[in-house]
Amino acid sequence: MATSLITIGRTGIAASRAALELTAQNIANASNADYTRRRIDQSELVTTGRIDRLQRSTLNGVTIGTVDRLGNEFTQRQVRASTSDLARVEAEIAGLRGAESALEQSGLYESLVDFEAALTLLESDPTDPALRTAAVETARQMAETFQFADFALGNARDLAEAELGAGVDVINGTAAALARINVDLVGAREGTAGRAALLDARDAALRDLAQDVGIEVSFDQFGAAEVRLSAPGSPVLVSASSAATMTASITPGGPVEIQIDGAVVSPASGDIAGRVAALADYTQRQSELDAAAAATIARANTAQAAGATLDGSPGQPLFSGTRAGDITMVLGDGAGLAVAPAGSPAGSRDTGNLANLIAAFGADDGPIAGIDRTLLSLSSRIAGLDTTRNGLALIRESAVATMLSESGVDLDTEAANLVRLQQAFDANSRVIQVATELFDTILGLG
Amino acid sequence: MAGISNSTSAFFDRSLGQMNDLRASLEKFQTQIATGVRIERGSDDPVAAARLRALTRLERRGETEAENAARLGQDLTQSSNEIVGVVEILQRVRELAVAAASDTAGASGREAIALEIEQLGEELFARANAVSITGAPLFAGTAGSPSFVRDAAGNVTYNGNGQNGTVPVAPGTQIERGVSGDQLFEFDVNGTPESAFNVLSGLALALRGGAADPAQAAQDALAGIDAALDSATRSQTIIGTRLDWVIAIQQNQETRAIDVAEQRSQVGDTDITDTIVRLQQVLTALEASQASFTRISSLSLFNAL
Repeated sequence: MATSLITIGRTGIAASRAALELTAQNIANASNADYTRRRIDQSELVTTGRIDRLQRSTLNGVTIGTVDRLGNEFTQRQVRASTSDLARVEAEIAGLRGAESALEQSGLYESLVDFEAALTLLESDPTDPALRTAAVETARQMAETFQFADFALGNARDLAEAELGAGVDVINGTAAALARINVDLVGAREGTAGRAALLDARDAALRDLAQDVGIEVSFDQFGAAEVRLSAPGSPVLVSASSAATMTASITPGGPVEIQIDGAVVSPASGDIAGRVAALADYTQRQSELDAAAAATIARANTAQAAGATLDGSPGQPLFSGTRAGDITMVLGDGAGLAVAPAGSPAGSRDTGNLANLIAAFGADDGPIAGIDRTLLSLSSRIAGLDTTRNGLALIRESAVATMLSESGVDLDTEAANLVRLQQAFDANSRVIQVATELFDTILGLG
Repeated sequence: MAGISNSTSAFFDRSLGQMNDLRASLEKFQTQIATGVRIERGSDDPVAAARLRALTRLERRGETEAENAARLGQDLTQSSNEIVGVVEILQRVRELAVAAASDTAGASGREAIALEIEQLGEELFARANAVSITGAPLFAGTAGSPSFVRDAAGNVTYNGNGQNGTVPVAPGTQIERGVSGDQLFEFDVNGTPESAFNVLSGLALALRGGAADPAQAAQDALAGIDAALDSATRSQTIIGTRLDWVIAIQQNQETRAIDVAEQRSQVGDTDITDTIVRLQQVLTALEASQASFTRISSLSLFNAL
């Protein structure tokens, strides 16, 4: 009987030590974002023997059970979905801010208004060489600003394209890592610490993946993940040990196509979806910028053609080119501005043709109004997305909080556990000591 | 048991996030105060940014119109000065013509008068071809220099046109540039088209013996001189009226510029008082949350072990 007491004490010590180790592990990983709090299962060990009709049960202490990971798939899924939604909006905002910087900070609108002002000023004294030179130089400045805005927009687009490419690479890397984890999971024994670590790695990989692209996940009996994009009819990205390859084909200045093993998909959320949306917006802004440049070129050159220069000759084109990237001021000097209507004599101070140009340039369908509309729609879009982002960030925050309240480590709880387990350890040692004393007492008899 | 715990890392994340948010808004207020501008980029407030752009264009336009009005004012003042000179010349010619019309002036006296009238004619021609500061003819309408040309025989003809051209000085307001040379120097005398130059040269010629009765010729020339004077003073009135108009417009422009600047300020400038109060509010919140964070995070059971 005293032997059984020692056995019970030994299993108790072993159980408290295992639980203490797990507590130490929890404490060590308190700031590991991918770690899920562990708990060890214990169960009573009772052995029952029977001889004939006589049944006896012997108490044998406690057995150490499995290592439990706390937390559930539902909250993980919410975190993934909200992460994907937030990532999409953030990536799109980042992209659009690039376009906003290019179009707004380049000072294009101000430059167009300056040109209009220089032309209006010329009306006061149409033969003044200083005013003519000023008007031509403002035109040159405006053409250069168009080119600069085009360059900056192109740069921002290049950056967004590079980020899209890098994002796809990251997805492929994570998918391959997930496939390896799947393989390992099949071989891992249920309830072991090794399996818990693998599941942590799996969930972390899934969360990383969700940041890049919205995913739908299902698990098999081993816990291996099968991943598809959360888009209708999406092919499988990761299944068991195999990971598909995602590619992004970008037509320069045109549409973007995302493929998985050659099949076209359109991701609904995640970083990638935001970048694709931003790139589509770039294409539109580029065409609006080009349209404004083309309108400037056409209206200026049409007016020039309908007028007479300072020496009475027919006006020559003011700009060459067809779009923002190649608009160039080609008029030699201020005298070449066709201020007077065609057929006017040399030195004419008639400003009829100039007035037509100013009206055409400043019209509601002209380039100034066009750029104003572009800037307004772009900044409104960003402001709208910003509001959405704030809402999505709150949703994600609360999803993460819910997840962490289940799976995160609470140091106070662990400290309390330490005290409790230490006492349990002491108490079990005491049981063994008592058993020893019992033996000694018995042996000392007689 | 799924177990609900108060995750330590969640607490740190949350506190960090909240303090970051507070810091971000502090920095935003700081930028607004330092730059004096409320809207850093269009997406901060798209509608206000669009209004700011419209106001920028209005402001730019107002500056241009003010510059135009100033230049127009200069040109008109210069024209006015030239016309004053023209009126003085014509008055002197009239005095001379009256003197020549009296019989007391002998042949030599009339010769002297003729000489002076010729010189005055030269000056009149010079004034008629006056140019602005930038070299543009003042009295050629919208045509180029020179306003009047003189052929070998000494006949002066108008080289410009009858259009004055207009200068935009306010939305929907265009003021004519001046008076054209034909308005100023050409007129009808008893139904016959005449010019001031012809009247002067004709008189000088008559006084030099071109007419049988020089005194009578001088007497006859008075009608032409009076018509020239009439025409010049009429032009002076026109110029004076336009100059007054320009001055009125300039005052109007100043008021409008202030209006636009005020609107700009309302839409786009930082409300300093408001922002400082908000800054202080956020600062207090940040300090409080930093203090409470330190105290709460030091509340660990481990300290008691």
